[in-house]
Order: sequence, then structure tokens, then C-alpha cells
Amino acid sequence: MSTPLFTAENLVAGYGGATVLHDVSVTVDEHEVVVVLGANGAGKSTLLSVLAGQLPALQGSFTVDGKTVGQIRPDIMLQHGISLVPQGRGTLAPLSVLDNMRVGAISRSDRREVEADIDRWFSVFPRLAERRDQIAGTLSGGEQQMLAIARALMSRPRLLLCDEISLGLAPVIIQGLFETLREINAESGTALLLVEQNAQLALDIASRVYLLEVGHVTASGTAEQFRADDSIRAAYLGY
Amino acid sequence: MEILLSRVFAGATSGSIYVLIALCLVIVFRSSSTINFAQGEFALFTTYVTWWMTERGIHVWLAIVPAILVGFLMGAAAERWLIRPVKKRDETAVLIVALALFTGLNGLDGWIWGSDDKVFPRMLPSGEGSYITIAGARLHYDSIAIIAIMFAVVGGLTLFFNRTSMGLQMRAVAANPESAALCGVRVGRVLTLSWGLSAALSAFAGALLIPLVPPGQLGLAGMFHVLIFATAAALLGGLDSVKGAVVGGLGLGIGLALVNGYVGFLGGSMSLTVALVVIVVILLVRPTGLFGARRLERV
Amino acid sequence: MSSPKVIVRDSAIHRALIGGGVVIGIALALWGSGLAPFEQGQITRVMIYSIAIAGLNVATGYAGLLSVGHSAFFGIGAYTTGILVVKHGWGAWATIPAAFGICLVVGLLVGLPALRIRGLYLAMVTLAFAVAFPEIVGRFENLTGGAGGMTIHRTSLRPPEWTGFSLGEKGAWLFWLSVIVLALTIYVTASLTRSRYGLAMSAVRENEIAASSSGVNIAIVKTATFGLSGAITGAAGALFAMYMGSLYAEGSFTLLAGITLLIGLVIGGERTILGPIIGGLVVVYVPYYTSDIGGGQASAVLFAAVLLLVIFVAPAGVAGAINKFVARFMVVRSAPPVSTPALTESPVSDQAPTQNERQMS
Repeated sequence: MSTPLFTAENLVAGYGGATVLHDVSVTVDEHEVVVVLGANGAGKSTLLSVLAGQLPALQGSFTVDGKTVGQIRPDIMLQHGISLVPQGRGTLAPLSVLDNMRVGAISRSDRREVEADIDRWFSVFPRLAERRDQIAGTLSGGEQQMLAIARALMSRPRLLLCDEISLGLAPVIIQGLFETLREINAESGTALLLVEQNAQLALDIASRVYLLEVGHVTASGTAEQFRADDSIRAAYLGY
Repeated sequence: MEILLSRVFAGATSGSIYVLIALCLVIVFRSSSTINFAQGEFALFTTYVTWWMTERGIHVWLAIVPAILVGFLMGAAAERWLIRPVKKRDETAVLIVALALFTGLNGLDGWIWGSDDKVFPRMLPSGEGSYITIAGARLHYDSIAIIAIMFAVVGGLTLFFNRTSMGLQMRAVAANPESAALCGVRVGRVLTLSWGLSAALSAFAGALLIPLVPPGQLGLAGMFHVLIFATAAALLGGLDSVKGAVVGGLGLGIGLALVNGYVGFLGGSMSLTVALVVIVVILLVRPTGLFGARRLERV
Repeated sequence: MSSPKVIVRDSAIHRALIGGGVVIGIALALWGSGLAPFEQGQITRVMIYSIAIAGLNVATGYAGLLSVGHSAFFGIGAYTTGILVVKHGWGAWATIPAAFGICLVVGLLVGLPALRIRGLYLAMVTLAFAVAFPEIVGRFENLTGGAGGMTIHRTSLRPPEWTGFSLGEKGAWLFWLSVIVLALTIYVTASLTRSRYGLAMSAVRENEIAASSSGVNIAIVKTATFGLSGAITGAAGALFAMYMGSLYAEGSFTLLAGITLLIGLVIGGERTILGPIIGGLVVVYVPYYTSDIGGGQASAVLFAAVLLLVIFVAPAGVAGAINKFVARFMVVRSAPPVSTPALTESPVSDQAPTQNERQMS
């Protein structure tokens, strides 16, 4: 069995005095698409915050390619190839679309490759290309989501974490986004860890799924197993 | 006509000074979302350092270089060790820290160098006949110089913010620090650099403006008025806007010159009161200023 | 460690403690009255600044409206006294209520922008106010003596006949005046902060939106608070004019003076009764004892250093730290609510309500 790309073990995390995650463990293999399902308040965003190095875990450990990661900070996790598309998109509103993309690549030093990547993602997201000099804050919700994804991809991550990218978007747009993600995963091999509340579309592109309930991982398995499970279907897929 | 023009020239000169200090305030506000009330005292302290070196025979344009460096270090250290630790707590604490810096630096100036007024060398050409005449009004060389320097600084800052990686990082942190951090920006480092840059610029501006602003000599109260005018200018233009600082500063400078000249009963000595009124009106009517995008507080 | 002893507010023990405090206060006043003129003058000065800082405490400490411009209120009060005494022949002590009143009005006016302007922005406005004040004084030269200043002739400060003090004892007269004003200030601020108005001030300070939605009239609280705050500091200014005998705006009523008042408040302890008094002691004695060092500038540096120390180590100030220490042994709590006998009976009556009862409820 090959070494997983990324593992997080026995995570305990929270805010202030409240513990949100209780002994959570997840694994992502190279090129995998993993989905984390859960209701509001289950701790999904907290989980991604911790994985991205944004929120320090109270307990737990991480490995990348089998090696333990020492200090946890966003820029260090980026060096390990883990990038987060935050909930709410985190658009740098006063900056142009192009500048947003450039910020995504801020930790890279290969200028020419950065410019090549910008062109590449502009071709994947033509809407962004059209608006390259536009102020990002004036973009629509769907366009800002595309920008957030493109920005996160600019650091050439091996694992892309996506926090509820479907929030507030029209179904047609969401479908397009997931299709694009699937293509990116297929072509670049970037592994994906998606967090979603209503996960119908996410399950279509997923290989494995975790179920997070009130800070605990209560179930994990393949996407087929999840689709076949009646209670999960009822609770999270709506039918 | 020539009186109007000469008033405009005078106003543009003092306005350019306000722009320079206003820019320092803008740089800090953009990154930290706070106003550095001690900005003027940073400038004053470093100007004393410059003066001290000129007393030792170093030419003023040379002496200003280490002073700028000292300013940079002061600003960076203040952000790292004094401002950042209390920022998490509440913004009132930040203000009080700034006031402590204000009083402390001012007192330090007096302690180290004495409270008497010092003669500060002029950095810009001046003297008999150092002016050109336009439509009957005199435009002095030092006025031209300071206005030119101001535009050069604005140009340089704009290039820095829009064309360099660090400038991009500063803009990113100003827009959304969390997002910037997720992209790998070292937010703390950027904040420290912003404060350093701001203080360095104020060191430069301080030395330039001391001879130009009444009383024309270096004294402990030298920056009080300039701080108020610069604050009014920055507010008028928008606290997070470089362009706004230019418009606000020049507008305020020229406006005050015209008001003082033409509105008799104000007697020419009510500039500070006018500035106070400007500040209050802006905050009541349009808190983001003319070109600003963000407010200090969200309702 | 045993938990602190709880003392019920307004109980016999509590009143005894307060009574003890009053006795100590009276004893201190009597001790002060026996001091030689110079030392007594210093104590008077401490009291004047304590009153000024207590005024600032009302707006900045309790209501959270940060002001570095209270030097202007101090100045307005002082000039009110100066003008009334010199130009209109008022008796000096009678100007104190006048100063209070005028500063109350000015404070209300200044409090109006505070409705829309908050926090750092409001501090900016007070900063500009402080810097502009000497300029305004200079403008109205006929009234104020302008930049040259105003002198109150010492005979105008003669204590009134009925006090029994001679002209030479005007220092003692001023001392007792200050004691009375300080005692009044303490009483007013203590009652205020314990009252419902005080709760409203706290609510506005902590969370304006929550306060507003709880029914607190933000407008009234903010403007009235600023008015009262300015008025108290103005009364201190009146005493100051009597103390100095001459007024010089560029010296006493500048931005640095306003900042000094705030520093005194923070070091002393915001939202405490003792805080302003400690602040007054600090503001008077630190410059006095350091006047030889650094050409008199050392006090500013010392203030800054102590202020930073307080902010980092003991944000509640000296008085706050004392309170915390005392709270380990003794806490004052309000009495628990008295339960109504009717509420403790069985909620269900034995009989069904009669027709009449149903109609009435």
C-alpha cells in the first residue's frame, strides 16, 4: 500500500473554550477526491482551517508523504502543497482579478512559470480572463468562487481543500464548478478534499467520503457505499 | 489675479507637506486599520536626529539617510512590540499605546536635545530672488521643489504598491489578512514593514518640512499642527487611498490658504479650527472620504 | 484558598465600611489643612487634577468615549472663571457653578458628533479639539487676553467674608473649596455609576448595538455623559484658575495637557473612584520630582513608560489592581432579590377559577 499523500490523526481543535473537533482522523491519497459530509455546526470548516494551518490544533498530528509535519502555519502547509479555498471565498476585493491570482503565487519564485500558470487557469476559467483587470469585489458570486479556486491553485498544490464552494450559488454554476474540479483532478492529478453540506454533486466526483457529525467522524467509506446507504441519503442527499 | 495665484501657490506648498504626512497615515491605516497618532512624533524625533548630525558637520541631505533608517526601525519596532500585542485586545488600547509613544517621544526629544528651538538647515533652495514669476505671482523654488518631491514620492509609492511583490503583499493584507495568509503571505512581517515604511517616509518629510512650516525652527511643538492638518487631509481623501491623500492634502492646503486670505473675520489664524470642522463634517457626512473604500468600524 | 467574604450592599457592614472611608477622608482633609502653604498648595493641585480626571473618567472610563480633548474643558472652565472675575467682578467661588454650567453645554454640543462618530474617529475629533482650543482662545483676544494670557489679580481672589479667611489665607480657602468639590464629584460619580444610568453607560461602552436593541437611548446617554464629563472637568478648571491666578492657553490647555489627563486616568485606573485621585497624584508629583532631570522633560518619558507598563501588565490601572487584590478577601454584592410569597405557593389553585376571575385576568 502506497504512502498516503496526507494524513491528519486524532485532531482535537476548537475556539475559545469550546472544542469543536474530537479525535478526528482523515487520510487523502495522491490524486484522490475525498468528500467530507456534515450538517451545519458539524465542524467541517474548523477541520479545513486546521488542515490548512490557519487554526492550531490542540492535539493531533499531520503527515505529508508519510513524514510528520512539525510546525503548522499556512505558509508551511503551502510549502507541503496544501492549499485552501476558504468559505466565503476570501476575495481580495479591492485588488484586480489578475492581482488576486498573483497573490496566490506569492510564495513562488519562478516568475515565468507563474505567468504560464496564470494563462493556464485563465483558459480553464474564461470568465476570469475576460475580467482580468476588473476589481475583484465587483465580480459575481460564481466568478468570485472561480477566482478563489484559481488563486488557491496558483501555488501548485498537491492537495486542494475546498470549503463549501457551492454556498450561495445557482445549481448551474455549481455543476460547472464541480465539473471543472473533476477535470483538474483528472488532468493535473491534484487531490481534492471537499467539504459540503448538501453533497449530491460532490459525491458524483468523489472516491471516498467521511461523515462528520458534531465533531466526530461517524462514518467513512467509498462514494458508492454512501450513495447506497438509505439514512445518509435521506439526511444529506435529500432523497 | 496675482493675489489669488500666490495664495494658491502657498496653499499647494503647505498642501504638499500635508500630503506627505497624510501618506504615512494612509500606509499604516491600509495595513493595520488603525491611525497612528504618534506619526508626527516619529517624524519629529528623526528630524532631531538629522539636526544632531548636521551639528556635527554632516550635510543635511546626507544626514537624512541614517535618520530615515532610524525612522524605519522605530516604526517596525513599534508595530512588532507595542502595537501588535495590544491590537488583539481592543482598539482603545492601541490608541493609548500611540498616545504613550506621542508623549514619550516628545519628552525624549526634549530630554536628549533640549526644549529650546533649534535652527534647522534648509534642504531646498531659498533666499533672495529664488523664485519665478507667473502672471505676476511669485512661485518660489522651494515650493516647486516640495511639490515636485511630493509627486515623486506619490509616484514611487504607487509603483511600489502596484509593481513590486511586497507592495502586492501589503495590498493583499490590507484587503483581507486571512486570505492573504492562506496564500502564504507572512502577515506579521508585512505589518511590521508597513509601519517601518511609514515612519521612514515621515522621517524624510519631517526634515523637509520643518523649515517651511511656522515657526520655521525645530522645536518640541513642531509637528502638532501638521499632524492635525495631515489627519484632516487623509480623512478627506479617504484613509486607505493614496490618491485621496494627494487630493485631500492639496485641497486642504489650497482651501485653507484661500479661506485665510479671503474670509476676513477668520483673521488668518483659525486654520486649526477649520481643520477641526473639516474632520467633524467628513466623519458625519462621508466617513470613507472622497476616495476611500473601507471604514474603520462596521456598524 | 477560601473564597472572598461577601458583603451585601447597603447592609450594616457595608455602611460601616463606607462610613470608615468618609472618616478617613475627613481625617486626610484635616491633616491637609494643617500643612504649610506650599505643601498645601500641592495637595490642592492634586485635588484639582483629580477632579479633572474624574470628569474624564465619566466619559472615557465609564462610557468608553475616548477623549484627549478634556484640556479644552479644563481651559473653558478656567477662562470662565477668569472672565467672570476680571471683567464682571464675580466672586471667585461663585464662578464654579458657572464654569460647570458652561462646560455642561459645550460638552453636550461636543457629545452630539459622538452619536455618529465612534472609537478612534471620536478620539481624532477630540484631538483636533484640543489642538484648536488655544487657537480659539487667541482669536477672542478681547475676552480672553489672547495669546498673552490673562491675569487674575489676587485681591479678586479674596475669600468671602463669611468664611473667616483673610486674603492671606486664600490658599486655605481654596484648599477647602477643592475638598468640597472633590467630595461632591466622588459622590456624584459613585451614585451615577451605581444607578440605572450607570448601567446604560456600561452597556454603551461594551456593545452599542446590543445596548440600543435593549432599549438604551444611545443618543441621550452619549451626549449627557459628555456633558457631565466636561462639566466636572470644567469645575476643576475654575478651581485651577483660582489656584494659578493667571491663565496661559499655550501652557496649560494644550494637547499635551489633554493627553496627560488621559494618562493620569489610565495609570490611576479607569472606572474606579480611587483612580482619578491616584491619577492626580501622579500628574502632579511625577513632574515635580523629576523637574531636575532632563530639563523637565523626563516626566513625559516617565509617563509614557509607566503608561505602557500599565497597558501591558495591569490594564485596570493602579486602583484596578488594588481592587483586584482586595476582591480576594472581600466582595460587595447587591442583596439577592426578595422572593414574593405568592410565587412560592403552589401554582395550581385548588379550585377552578370562577367566572369573575377568568374575566379579570
